[in-house]
Amino acid sequence: MTDALEVDGLSGGYDDYDVVSNIGLTVGASERVGLFGPNGHGKTTILNAISATLARRRGTVRFFGQPVDRARPQAIVAAGLIHVPQANTVFPDMEIQETLELAAWTPRARAARAENLDRVLALFPRLAERRRQLARTLSGGERQMLSIGVGLMCAPRMLMLDEPTLGLSPKLKDELAQAIATISAGGIPILVVEQDVAFVLSLVDRMYFVNHGAITREIGRRDAVDHDEIMAMYFGAGATA
Amino acid sequence: MTLDALATVLVSGLVMGSVYALMASGLSLVWSTLGIFNFAHGALMTLGAYLAWTLAGSGVLGLPPWIAMLVAVALVAAVGVLLERLLIRPFYGHRAMLLVTVMTTLAATVFLSKGIQLVWGPRLKELPALAPGNVSILGTSISAQEALIVGVAPIVLGALWAFLRFSSTGRGIRAVGQNPQAAQLIGIDVPRLFAIAFALAAALAALTGILIGSVRLVTPSLGDEPLIKALIIVIFGGLGSMAGTIWAAYLIGLAEALLVFTIGIYWAPSTLFLLLILVLVLRPQGLMGKVVR
Ligand SMILES: Nc1ncnc2c1ncn2[C@@H]1O[C@H](COP(=O)(O)OP(=O)(O)OP(=O)(O)O)[C@@H](O)[C@H]1O
Ligand SMILES: [Mg+2]
Repeated sequence: MTDALEVDGLSGGYDDYDVVSNIGLTVGASERVGLFGPNGHGKTTILNAISATLARRRGTVRFFGQPVDRARPQAIVAAGLIHVPQANTVFPDMEIQETLELAAWTPRARAARAENLDRVLALFPRLAERRRQLARTLSGGERQMLSIGVGLMCAPRMLMLDEPTLGLSPKLKDELAQAIATISAGGIPILVVEQDVAFVLSLVDRMYFVNHGAITREIGRRDAVDHDEIMAMYFGAGATA
Repeated sequence: MTLDALATVLVSGLVMGSVYALMASGLSLVWSTLGIFNFAHGALMTLGAYLAWTLAGSGVLGLPPWIAMLVAVALVAAVGVLLERLLIRPFYGHRAMLLVTVMTTLAATVFLSKGIQLVWGPRLKELPALAPGNVSILGTSISAQEALIVGVAPIVLGALWAFLRFSSTGRGIRAVGQNPQAAQLIGIDVPRLFAIAFALAAALAALTGILIGSVRLVTPSLGDEPLIKALIIVIFGGLGSMAGTIWAAYLIGLAEALLVFTIGIYWAPSTLFLLLILVLVLRPQGLMGKVVR
């Protein structure tokens, strides 16, 4: 079976310098994969390069076998590779329900709009209670739910989530992790960026460590990684917590 | 103030307010969607009026006035698409997009005005009235043409509101205005919707130009003063708020009529300006504005 996502030799950045270089990663057809690493080391940039929202990029990206590295962002969305961005306020002056309906923009998504809306509202009952509320008045947790809901309304064949639990309380984190697990159990492969190692380990089958714009390590669920080793990855060898 | 005088002020304020609301709505749409001020808005108004003149009875083609108006509006919308492509699209994502497009849209104004003078010459043109004769409202007699403007404005603005609120293209336009990155990530072709919004604004400019031209005369400077007025109205109403723009337009129209009646045409404009500045000192975000994006 072809992988959902195959990335090879992907480099890119802003203005005239590269932020990430020679990224290679794969996500299997129903796999959950994590990207973790310190702040500012290029995790978001990698997702931007894949979703073509980064102007300066090169390398190959295949989505279910089809090359998409030259495609425009809207074509990538139409193909079903959906990027849910970091700390996004979506559309501040739109109501929740309006936002979700709008998100079913591509023809494929529009065809499944009613059914996906039911799914999203069932997954996040809190959004259902607040259909008529403006996005900018939502709490941080509700905003994250809306962002993920928007991603689901796009009729994803794969989701890329950028720090979906950033700044949330442990309780909300668990709630969102549950939701992500449900989505993934529905057969949608997921690439998720997270800072919190323990959290990401509970969520994924496999993860990549991003350091200074490169992938320096791949860790499987069964690889025993202890706390000290993670600390060493973050702060350099010799550091302990 | 007598009741009669009050009616006169009210009616003339409504006429002005309607024109202001129509011309400012397009400018407001471009601001809240593309985040720029379109300084060519006034020139597009003038262009619309001249095209309608050429197409209508008094011009060369002799179309019925209503048809001429609609064709002229459509042609100016097409010019809008062209302007967006040539003068604005190259600067999307540019650090100084707001300033660069001040320059490019001002350049468009110069080109359009000179072009208009070359094609149509300096002589004044008279547009055939869409509605001839006079009518009496609240005991005040105004031309049927002015009454038409008062009636058309809410219909057009209502249609614009419904389009932005309920149609999927309209919702998309609001989405790209609020967050272009997020819009791109749900599969919206952002530049395409920018172009549609710009064309729609150009069509509104043309419509306003034609309506103004049909109560006054068509001159090469027809859109100059309305452009300034429209800018003031959009800022006063609150940047990014279409509802604010429309409230501001009617409010300013009525205030102006009242000032003209009470202190005369000579002092009315400067007094109005002072009042607006005073309000903006107290409420820098305008009537219904959001904090600067
Ligand atoms: N739009 C931009 N223009 C210029 N530089 C940028 C831009 N966005 C990010 N960068 C730079 O690129 C580098 C990588 O940023 P990126 O956002 O990819 O990191 P990240 O790993 O996602 O960090 P975080 O965990 O804080 O979200 C940083 O040095 C950042 O300053
Ligand atoms: Mg990031």
